[in-house]
Amino acid sequence: MTWLNSHPLTFLVFAPTILGLVILVLPHTLGRLSRMLGFLGALAFFVLSLSWLLGHHGGALALSERTPWFTLVGLPVDYALSVDGLNLWLVLLTTFLVPLTMLGTWNSLKDRIGTFAALFLLLETGMLGALMAQDLFFFYLFWEAMLIPMYFMIGVWGGDERRYAANKFFLFTLSGSLLWLVALLYLANKAGGFNPVLMGQAVSLLPFGVQCWLFIAFAVAFAIKVPLFPLHTWLPDAHVQAPTAGSVILAGVLLKLGGYGFIRFAIPMFPGAAMHYAKPLAVLSVIAIIYGALVSMVQRDIKKLVAYSSVSHMGFVMLGLASFTVIGTQGAILQMLNHGISTGALFLLVGMIYDRAHTRMIADFGGVAVKMPVFTAFFFIVTLSSIGLPLTNGFVGEFWILNGTFLSGFNWGRLYACVATSGVLLGAVYMLWMFKRVFWGPENKDEDSGTHHLHSDLNAREVAVMLPIVVLIFWMGIHPKTFVAISEAPVVALLQEAKAPAPRTFVLKPAGHEATATQEGAHAPGTHEAPAEPAVHEVKQ
Amino acid sequence: MNLTPSQWAALLPLLLPALGGCLIPLMALDKDQATVKWIRAVMYWTALLAVGATFWYLTDLWVTGSQPSFFQLRMDRLAQFTGIFVVVAAAMTILQSWDHFHQEGWVKGETLSLLLFSVTGMMLFAATTHFVVLFLGLELFSIPLYALVGTVRARSESAEGGMKYFLTGAVASSCFLMGGVLIYGLSGTLDLATAAITLRSQGLALDPMVLAGAALLLLGFLFKVSAVPFHQWTPDAYEASPHPIAGFMSVATKGVAFIALLRIFPGSLAPLGAVGVKMQSVVAVLAVATLIIGNLTALVQTNVKRMLAYSSISHAGYLMLAFVAGTSAAYNGMLYYLVIYLAMNMGAFGLLTAFGLVGEKTTFDDLRGLGWKRPAMGISAAIFMLSLAGIPPMGGFYGKYMIFRELVGTGHVGMAILGVLASLVSAYYYLRFLVALFLQAPSAEAERLASDRPAVHAPFAGATVLVAAGIVLAGGFLQTFLSDGFTRRALLESLGLIR
Repeated sequence: MTWLNSHPLTFLVFAPTILGLVILVLPHTLGRLSRMLGFLGALAFFVLSLSWLLGHHGGALALSERTPWFTLVGLPVDYALSVDGLNLWLVLLTTFLVPLTMLGTWNSLKDRIGTFAALFLLLETGMLGALMAQDLFFFYLFWEAMLIPMYFMIGVWGGDERRYAANKFFLFTLSGSLLWLVALLYLANKAGGFNPVLMGQAVSLLPFGVQCWLFIAFAVAFAIKVPLFPLHTWLPDAHVQAPTAGSVILAGVLLKLGGYGFIRFAIPMFPGAAMHYAKPLAVLSVIAIIYGALVSMVQRDIKKLVAYSSVSHMGFVMLGLASFTVIGTQGAILQMLNHGISTGALFLLVGMIYDRAHTRMIADFGGVAVKMPVFTAFFFIVTLSSIGLPLTNGFVGEFWILNGTFLSGFNWGRLYACVATSGVLLGAVYMLWMFKRVFWGPENKDEDSGTHHLHSDLNAREVAVMLPIVVLIFWMGIHPKTFVAISEAPVVALLQEAKAPAPRTFVLKPAGHEATATQEGAHAPGTHEAPAEPAVHEVKQ
Repeated sequence: MNLTPSQWAALLPLLLPALGGCLIPLMALDKDQATVKWIRAVMYWTALLAVGATFWYLTDLWVTGSQPSFFQLRMDRLAQFTGIFVVVAAAMTILQSWDHFHQEGWVKGETLSLLLFSVTGMMLFAATTHFVVLFLGLELFSIPLYALVGTVRARSESAEGGMKYFLTGAVASSCFLMGGVLIYGLSGTLDLATAAITLRSQGLALDPMVLAGAALLLLGFLFKVSAVPFHQWTPDAYEASPHPIAGFMSVATKGVAFIALLRIFPGSLAPLGAVGVKMQSVVAVLAVATLIIGNLTALVQTNVKRMLAYSSISHAGYLMLAFVAGTSAAYNGMLYYLVIYLAMNMGAFGLLTAFGLVGEKTTFDDLRGLGWKRPAMGISAAIFMLSLAGIPPMGGFYGKYMIFRELVGTGHVGMAILGVLASLVSAYYYLRFLVALFLQAPSAEAERLASDRPAVHAPFAGATVLVAAGIVLAGGFLQTFLSDGFTRRALLESLGLIR
């Protein structure tokens, strides 16, 4: 127990792997036992993570483990894990979604369920490790290792085009991270190690042009994962072909790692270059928001619609980060959690209806509300949360992001915020339109239609899966402070470090968040765009 | 002639496999059906015993730290490292060939004998800087391999591949010989290390003859590592040869040639500074070509063995990048890479045996669905392929990591970018292997045929595959142990090697 007390993070990260390997060696005939074992284990990890992480963090205290791991070719690599304000809730989201997804897709898969559970647990290790790692080499290991279980999850249990989708997913992500590896090695040579703090210091000594190239390498690797607009094409394929559980985790956690990578590494390490590229990032984010929404609107497949809506939602996350305001960044962090919950829930719901009807085409449905009232109620709540209705989680995140963008010291802030707001509107259009066609209207009487095959409403297991999600949707919508209070201090520090232009103040104070008060120092002018120089631009008002 | 114990110690690692190689043909004479089974078993045991004794002796030398020598044959750390490397590859080959030749129905004693002579030659090749000894080693390991490629005479492709390999190999050997002769002619000494010092003192370091000599020597090495443009023999020879022999060639020949190249070029010829720099740029250009051609050609192969052949060409490219970086850490990375490469390539070829693919039945389609039928082999295959592609946490990643790190550190960022792009391309064809194993169901026809045939029984090949998978994983998690305890010592304690 003493070992556990001093190494809770190691246990959380690697226990899933150990359980996964145990399950992997169980014979195929024990698939049902393996599934149960996997679920109970994942549930136990969730409970443990809750009690350890929430119990411990009181205040700013972060849990961390750091010890030298090995030194190869003169570069020390640390075994460094930590949970602090930036990743606490993402870690909990991961440990929460894994058992939930397992329960939610209990009967979706028919063959090799034991192997699937094992891969799922291996993936959990990859995700938790990447979220907690505080050494870039260590992070890279998890970042890459994560691809392997996901590749097999898509490739073995996916839809008809699964091989194409799995390869595309793997190679797309790998391309970004391999180029990033070169940047990482370059930087490690300069810094003499992979410690992000040392690397950040080394960066500040490099010429600005080199910094920009390195930032681009980091940003592309993370942006592929997010996925940001021109690099998003793997996502719809992967999402549509992946089995439900794969889609949920892909949307719920893997995409978050891209955004998290920006907050944790790319922006703190390259504050100057990040500010320099804030505008291009914002442009791409706005394009992703609008484009994702427009493409969603014309989808015939519900799952594909949800996949493209992910592009749109993650565009908001990137916009929030690019705004370089406390409220925008906090919004981005919250939006990542929101998206994990809401889109994860949407994929689960789509999976539930697919298991019954064996189709996901919008045109095959109609009048589902009559046949499955409970399902409809849950779907409606999640839809509203995805649209961002006030009182649900989606609203808070998107509002903060738009608010932050509008107030940001960049002169493009207001315009982009206005354009991005139309993304919220479009979100309502595609979600509600889909909802109307699937659930309302006359029952689709066609013998071959999906509605015809819906014989049962949600059972107790499925309701048990959806209930915690609904609770979270409202909790995050009504009292978001629970989830962002802890990240405020790191975010404020991050932005001070980045020398972000102070947000503009208007007659109306930015409501709902006291964080902006801490920024009321110098009011930078709106024209101030890329403070590559460390000098703070003090301007008289 | 009386030999001192130290001289015996240097000779013994070569004598043991050679002795085995001599004994086996005596047993391989035709016997009646009743005794032939026993004879075969004894032959394989003899071969394993010879290899095992060599391994035991070399590890003993390694542990005690003695570095004996016999005139021009120096059993220093690097030579011991090479010896262990080759012997492990040979042991895996012997075990796999027991299964493979039984599947092919072609169990002959001379195969083992040739293999053991080849092992002897390889150890000799990497343990000297004297040109004649070097050439002797080269021929001693090459000629048995030419024969081994064509060993299954029942297959017509086998003879074709063997002949191709022999003809091209003979040309490369003669070029190598010519190179040595040129250097000898100018310096008057056959020891390359002494020759380099002599040439420099005579101011002949940049003499065109010396350059030509060095270039021809380099050609000989690059042929053996199958670098572009001397790679054409590789796919044909691999396809023709039995799987274990192809694995042995891909691993041991390449490894030994790289180690000897390391001993000669950055090592012995270091005093001829300018020549080294010129050769380095040649290697750089060829490495780029090797990476591009090897990887792109591998993409379109339908035969697994040809894919693995092009993959081994592309791996030669990564290993050559270590010479481009040219630091001792890069060479350390190269040796590390070779250790992992030994495991993953012997494992990959061993899989073909373990899955019971014989003759021409080595296309990707023949692999379909096998991963689920043989989970342990399937998981090992995933480990090998991901490691070959350089995905962490497998050992192959660390080999690439060490080499790329040195490339970036010495300012060759463009080369490093090319290298990672090449490994991105390579990921695609390695994934094809896994796609066939796990993501594709076997065709109905194949299912029917498989149910008719007796179950594949390849315990030894399976065992080597598992051991190889263990080594690859160990490479991913015990980096410091392998690198500092093994490869680095091999480099640093064979003094005079590193500038």
